[in-house]
Amino acid sequence: MSKPTTIPPKAKPTEQQKLTVEPAPRNRLRVLILSIGAIMFIFPFYYMVIGSLQKEADKSFSGVFPHPDNMTVTNYQEINEAIDAPRSLLNSTVFTIGVLLCTVLFGILAGYALAVMHFRGRTTVLSAVLLVLVVPFQLLQIPLYVLIVRAYGLGDTYLGMIIPFAINSTAVFIFRQFFLQLPRELFEAAHIDGASELKTMLRVAIPLARPAILNAVLLTFIGPWNEFLWPFLVTKQQDMQPFAVALANYMNNVAGRATNPDGANMAGGVLLAIPPVVLFLIFQKRFTSTNIGSGVKG
Amino acid sequence: MATVRSAETERTTERDRESAVQPVEKERWLGAQPIGLLFITPYVLFLAAIFVYPLIVQFFISFKDYFFAAPGATVDRPWVGFQNYVDVIQDPTFQRSLFNVFEFMIINVPATVFLSLVLAYALNSKMRGLSFFRGAYYAPYVTASVAIVTVWLFMFGETGLVNTVLGSLAPDPSWLINRYWAMPMIAVFVTWKQLGFFILLYLAALQNVPKERYEAADVDGASTVQKFWSVTVPGVRPATTLVIILATITGMNLFTEPYLLTNGGGPNGASVTPVFYMYQKGVEQGQAGYAAAIGMILLVITLGIALVQRRVLERD
Amino acid sequence: MRRRLISVVAAAAGSVLLGGCISDGGGPPESANTSRGAIEVWLSTNPEEVAWGEEVVASWNSKHPSEKVTAQQIPAGKTSEEVIYASIVAGNAPCVVMNTAPSAVPQFQKAGGLVPLDNFPDGNSYVEGRTGTAVADQYKSPDGRFYQIPWKVNPVMIFYNKKLFAQAGLDPVNPPLKTWAEFLQTSRTLVQKKVAHAAIWPAPSSEFFQSWFDFYPLFGARTQQQLVEDGKATFDTPDGVAVGQFWRTMYAEKLAPQEKYNGDSFKDGEAAMAIVGPWAISVYKDAIEWGAVPIPTEDGKPANQVYTFSDEKSLAIYFACEHRLTAWDFVKFATAQDSDGRLLELTGQMPMRENLPGVYAGYFAKNPAYTQFADQAGRIVEVPNVPNSTEIWQTFRNAWTAAVVFDNEPIDKEFADAAARANELLAKG
Repeated sequence: MSKPTTIPPKAKPTEQQKLTVEPAPRNRLRVLILSIGAIMFIFPFYYMVIGSLQKEADKSFSGVFPHPDNMTVTNYQEINEAIDAPRSLLNSTVFTIGVLLCTVLFGILAGYALAVMHFRGRTTVLSAVLLVLVVPFQLLQIPLYVLIVRAYGLGDTYLGMIIPFAINSTAVFIFRQFFLQLPRELFEAAHIDGASELKTMLRVAIPLARPAILNAVLLTFIGPWNEFLWPFLVTKQQDMQPFAVALANYMNNVAGRATNPDGANMAGGVLLAIPPVVLFLIFQKRFTSTNIGSGVKG
Repeated sequence: MATVRSAETERTTERDRESAVQPVEKERWLGAQPIGLLFITPYVLFLAAIFVYPLIVQFFISFKDYFFAAPGATVDRPWVGFQNYVDVIQDPTFQRSLFNVFEFMIINVPATVFLSLVLAYALNSKMRGLSFFRGAYYAPYVTASVAIVTVWLFMFGETGLVNTVLGSLAPDPSWLINRYWAMPMIAVFVTWKQLGFFILLYLAALQNVPKERYEAADVDGASTVQKFWSVTVPGVRPATTLVIILATITGMNLFTEPYLLTNGGGPNGASVTPVFYMYQKGVEQGQAGYAAAIGMILLVITLGIALVQRRVLERD
Repeated sequence: MRRRLISVVAAAAGSVLLGGCISDGGGPPESANTSRGAIEVWLSTNPEEVAWGEEVVASWNSKHPSEKVTAQQIPAGKTSEEVIYASIVAGNAPCVVMNTAPSAVPQFQKAGGLVPLDNFPDGNSYVEGRTGTAVADQYKSPDGRFYQIPWKVNPVMIFYNKKLFAQAGLDPVNPPLKTWAEFLQTSRTLVQKKVAHAAIWPAPSSEFFQSWFDFYPLFGARTQQQLVEDGKATFDTPDGVAVGQFWRTMYAEKLAPQEKYNGDSFKDGEAAMAIVGPWAISVYKDAIEWGAVPIPTEDGKPANQVYTFSDEKSLAIYFACEHRLTAWDFVKFATAQDSDGRLLELTGQMPMRENLPGVYAGYFAKNPAYTQFADQAGRIVEVPNVPNSTEIWQTFRNAWTAAVVFDNEPIDKEFADAAARANELLAKG
């Protein structure tokens, strides 16, 4: 049995090929506007870092610039003493990776099925996906809480934290739109070669789906990493709490006693923000592929 | 090939597209590819447990004078029919909360659409430091509100940086405790924070605007601004629809930011949002039935708006 | 269309089965009231209380190896009451929560989450014996039973910064803070001389419990009444409105800021005074040279007649507990004279024991600064133990922020509307 016919090397041109290079004066204007905007955007971030390193909270204009004699790392040390940072970061990691695994695994299956296959109940599920985006989590929260902690007994477990976020519907959306975009000929060729649906998906569709998977991962990562309310409800034991919750606890209860409470809060903020920002910066070049764009067609 | 879309195919619905290219298959009861049911099962189970079940529970609760209680405790939960709904609609705090989110959306949605498109357009070109610029605009989106709110309070507090710079021009009472400025401030904050996500949507959509159209416009001697309005804006219309709908949904469901920035209700309820009020009633005051009614009404309103938007915006 | 309807209904039915079919069981059996075994206990996150708690638990465990107690800090949020309520609903509440807020007791009780003390033969007598019938009475529920054990009290007084007062030219030993007029004048001096950003900085935000630290102490000092008496709201009286007017003046003249301070304004020297209880001494002792006086009254009542807000916390035994006899014995152990003494020493908070200065004379001899708190602990006003108490406090707070903090509405009208609403809620039950 022969392998499926050759897959086109790259389904779409990379973004770099599509970028236009504009003549110099326009480019400079563009850079200027972007710079102004970027400064305005990143300024709170910068201020957060500066504030976290201040010995005494300095709210004056000169406080915007770092002063060597007002700089210290005690804010970070205080957080480290108050929160079990390694443990809560571990919890955050387990929580996030759990969600990512479920989303990628089941999301691809669902996205593929919704895009490529015809089966009974398909449109119902499609409508459900859209409905899901409209419902605020707070509406579901308490019955969900009763269900997961009381009925299933999953309080204070990683599973209990993961389950409500297990499959990110936006990711399903992304996968579906991506698979919709793949040329039909691919699947027809595979069918002609006698491959079953499962094999088609595994051998043909998924290897191509790497950009979509990357997008889905980056988008889905943010949710559980920053999620505060649900893990807060579900975990009573402090050693199960993810970093976002530990940080919020600290800000609400202990920070008032620190030498520089604002600084301590901001140090916590910086710590929480570092992993997503770093991840984003590393992958952002590949992030803007057309996978999400195809979603806007339908 | 399949990646370059012309103006015509943009408009076809996905159903047409699929039926146009899908070969006719046997009409079986479970559909052409029943194995799809197997693929979709984990997701459906997930939806059923996490969304459908709680939603149905809330639906039934909203018709009762409900109160969550310990397992094994006997609590009286009388059926009250539509009384909760009537009370909610007449509740001045709820009405204020709807007004607040509409005020929010009036600022947030147009600003989001305009800024994210303009910025995506600007970020869509080769230039030095592109990574830095992209990082700058994405960074707020990626960080938790909990973390970044402290900075904003630091900046916009009564003795904060902004007021120090503004001196006597600073509003009194200060921004976040001012009943006229509180909600607009929250709108600015959320717009700033979410912009990265929408820039991304537009960036991707911009890739699918065919270069030929820009070239044609160049041939006609259009300026940058003219090209923007006549080629770019129509070209990303489906993205605009999505951006508007998503921003609206976010606005209607606003909770975290008012909670964090204004300690809940703000001065005189100036920044109460429906979801926050639902939380206050349901969790803090233990009135689950009333809170469920708030949730149901909100859901209906949001769905209604989203559907209307979709219909209006997708019309040709 | 019909097909879709069928599939939607099928999905809904399926999910209800999935979710609801799983039985959630009942509570512990009746025998739990006399059962012994290992139990779980929650402490607050206050570091000094944690230290005390761990000491008490260790001591108990060494004496009762077969009834081990595991202690855990209450994961905190804006209010730890939400967490406790959630755990009641989930059926995984611990046996004892040290730091149960009396304002939450009506709600927890309604949810069936608390164990009434008369389940134990010496339940009522122990409480009344330790605390005294008069004070303990404020902690009974409307049905006349005790669902909480009054544990410790933090009578709220006016703390002032001696150094800042001296800088402003005010007497740091006997500051003029007895009458409302004096208090206002002192505040004006402090702000005008710019020794601090604010004379005093209570949180002006709209959380329902903030009223306990601005309105309630002054109202209690003036009237000795709770927010609700005999099933009716009391704050729309001329007394309540007068207290509102007092604070309105403070806000109008910018003696108290309208924006919440992120942190402790007294400790940071941003405010020259604070309304707080003795638990804060351990926070201030290194940073501020502090003094404390009773809450001001309009006409300057003598100190031994001034009442204040209690800022009390109780212990309670929760319904999910399966070894309630152990829990009860542990509670008695933790509130015995020795444990109370250690609480006093470690945290500076006042155990609710009759005749504190007499029982712990040695401690007060060594720490005379605490004597006034021990004395004040006998004159406290508690939050009313009534149904829908949280909602009533929230209603009041909304009126307060609108009228008193921000002068958006007239005080008497706002208070009257809020009282009407509160009376409705009280009648509803």
